[in-house]
Amino acid sequence: MSHPIDHKPFGRLFDRLAARPLFMCGFRPFFLATAVYAVLLLLIWLGFLAAGLGVPAVRGGPVVWHAHELMFGFGLAAVAGFLLTAVPEFTATPAFGRRIALGMVLLWTAARLAFWLSGTLGLAGEVLAAVLNVGFLGALIAIVAPRLWRDPERRHLAFLWGLGAMWIALAGFHADALGGAYPMRWVRVGVGVMMVLIVVALSRISMRIVNDALDAERLRRNGGTARRHGEDDELPDYRARPPRRNLAIFGVALYTVVEFVLSGSVIAGWVALAVAAAVLNLLNDWHVGRALLSRWAFMLYAVYWLMAAGYALIGLSLLGAPVTPSAGLHLLTVGAMGVSIFGVLCIAGRTHAGHELDLRPWVLVAAAGLVAAALARSASGLPGMPMAGLQAVSAAAWVLGYGLAARYLGTVFVGPRPDSGTGCEEVLREA
Amino acid sequence: MSLLRAWLAGLPAYLWSGWGAIASLFLLLAAWEAVSLVYGPLVMPDPRSAFGTLWVLIDSGAAGPELAATARRALSGYALSVLAGSVLGLVAGLSMTASMMSRPLVTVLMGTPPIAWLVLAMLWFGASDGTPVFTVFVAAFPVIFIGALQGTRTLDNQLRGMAEAFRLPRRMMFLDVYLPHVVSYLFPAWIAALGTAWKVVVMAELLATQDGVGAALAVSRSHLDTAATMAWIAAVVGLLLAVEYLVLEPVKREVERWREQGA
Repeated sequence: MSHPIDHKPFGRLFDRLAARPLFMCGFRPFFLATAVYAVLLLLIWLGFLAAGLGVPAVRGGPVVWHAHELMFGFGLAAVAGFLLTAVPEFTATPAFGRRIALGMVLLWTAARLAFWLSGTLGLAGEVLAAVLNVGFLGALIAIVAPRLWRDPERRHLAFLWGLGAMWIALAGFHADALGGAYPMRWVRVGVGVMMVLIVVALSRISMRIVNDALDAERLRRNGGTARRHGEDDELPDYRARPPRRNLAIFGVALYTVVEFVLSGSVIAGWVALAVAAAVLNLLNDWHVGRALLSRWAFMLYAVYWLMAAGYALIGLSLLGAPVTPSAGLHLLTVGAMGVSIFGVLCIAGRTHAGHELDLRPWVLVAAAGLVAAALARSASGLPGMPMAGLQAVSAAAWVLGYGLAARYLGTVFVGPRPDSGTGCEEVLREA
Repeated sequence: MSLLRAWLAGLPAYLWSGWGAIASLFLLLAAWEAVSLVYGPLVMPDPRSAFGTLWVLIDSGAAGPELAATARRALSGYALSVLAGSVLGLVAGLSMTASMMSRPLVTVLMGTPPIAWLVLAMLWFGASDGTPVFTVFVAAFPVIFIGALQGTRTLDNQLRGMAEAFRLPRRMMFLDVYLPHVVSYLFPAWIAALGTAWKVVVMAELLATQDGVGAALAVSRSHLDTAATMAWIAAVVGLLLAVEYLVLEPVKREVERWREQGA
């Protein structure tokens, strides 16, 4: 890893670029790209919705562009950033290094450009977009798979299966697009896979966040008045237990398959309701009392509620309730995906850059903005609602949320570490 | 009182854990829907039309009296078997000889299919309430009897010896030594017997009476009305699920808790 690629000018430029703090760790460029791209995409989409301004022409039309870029552009940037940082940590292996960070983010950017231009460049452009997008995810899998596989207990293989399923969704999308079919069904598969990845990732993150909140709560209880010993017994540690999580994952996977095979079927509707119940069932582990109301724990908790509500709405819609299917779908994407990615940006993004968690109020404003965006977008699909107005409000609230993230987290990602760390380490406390 | 408070404090978490059961039930509905799609509504109506029919039955007031008649019969037979089964079982358990003697009899009772009892009951009681009540009694009795018998047979003699050594008052002896132990055996038996009673009564009504859910099922069958059939089945099963999970299961957990703690 340490030897230079070559000594031609391009190689030198590459190395000079990779030496910047932005490429100190895999999550930095990708989380920055996630936040900035989220704002950019929805600004363009807002212009399209409100003023009829054009969006990049791709085969299938504006909605396909919107869905593909938010799912496979924005969403996968966050996934890549998370895994490039988390996999070495989970498997206790060395970090991936600056060149991989820079190379992957360049590949991601090229894939974005190619897809944006795919409509104007004709068939060659579409092939290029397909190759770059599918190749980007393939490269990510190739990078993380050996580490996940070689882990002695293979505790984190779920990420690998998720990435594989996501790759199939992405490849299917581009195969459909190249074959002239409407590729939207693959985006819905991608949403299902993303929900699974969120459940898997949150189970890891929540162990830390919720238990930190419980520790703070114990401190608060014991700090004020002197309590008798044994009070702590009432606050057992939080554990994300596998059986409930596996039921939820199984449900999401089953729904995704049934919906794909029998699109719009009532069977899928019942399964969607089952998924909603299974996700609510997951929250049993989370009901730990007051500690749940702390900022980070509650943000992650809200993700599950949005997910459950999304699947419930999808189910009702498929069973014939007067709700558009996209109302539920957007609770999953804008809500569960938008809020969880924001939470990961805040939590993993700051701690692995050497900063303590952010306690400033902008976090709450941004999170509330994203939740409001999800609710407004969902409400626009209910009967008798002002659709255009609510969608514009939703887009604006999303831009606010991720705009704040780009502003306040961007400086963290671009800047050097405040401590003596040189890579992805969490906050180093001087002895 | 502390038991009640512990029960109330655990109630939200218990109710919330019901989401897992609800998820499974929705998957069952999905499978039901798939079967109805494959085989058509005549063989298997889809869940929504079955629930729609059920709603019409409830809304029109047709379901109430039938369910009430069924519940009355099931509960009378069940009450009789709880009374007789518990008392006789407890008494039989006190004596080694009596429990040895009664075991084969219970096996005979358990082994005789309820439908055989039903035929006998129809000969003895005709089309009256007696037929379903008796059938329920005979089907539920051995389950409770065995539970009660086990309860007294497994009483810890050493514990009794200790209680006697400490000269525990009779009342305390009964309430704190015998009762918790016996109840932890009796209660599960009562729950199992309730399920049996509820199933057997519908079968008895189907063949032997003019009213009740079983009779309604017979009518809907003769009309080839599968939607109404499924509606009645959903009503019966739904009631049983509600009683079992909302009332009996939480109590059972509380009753059996000392066992887990002891283990």
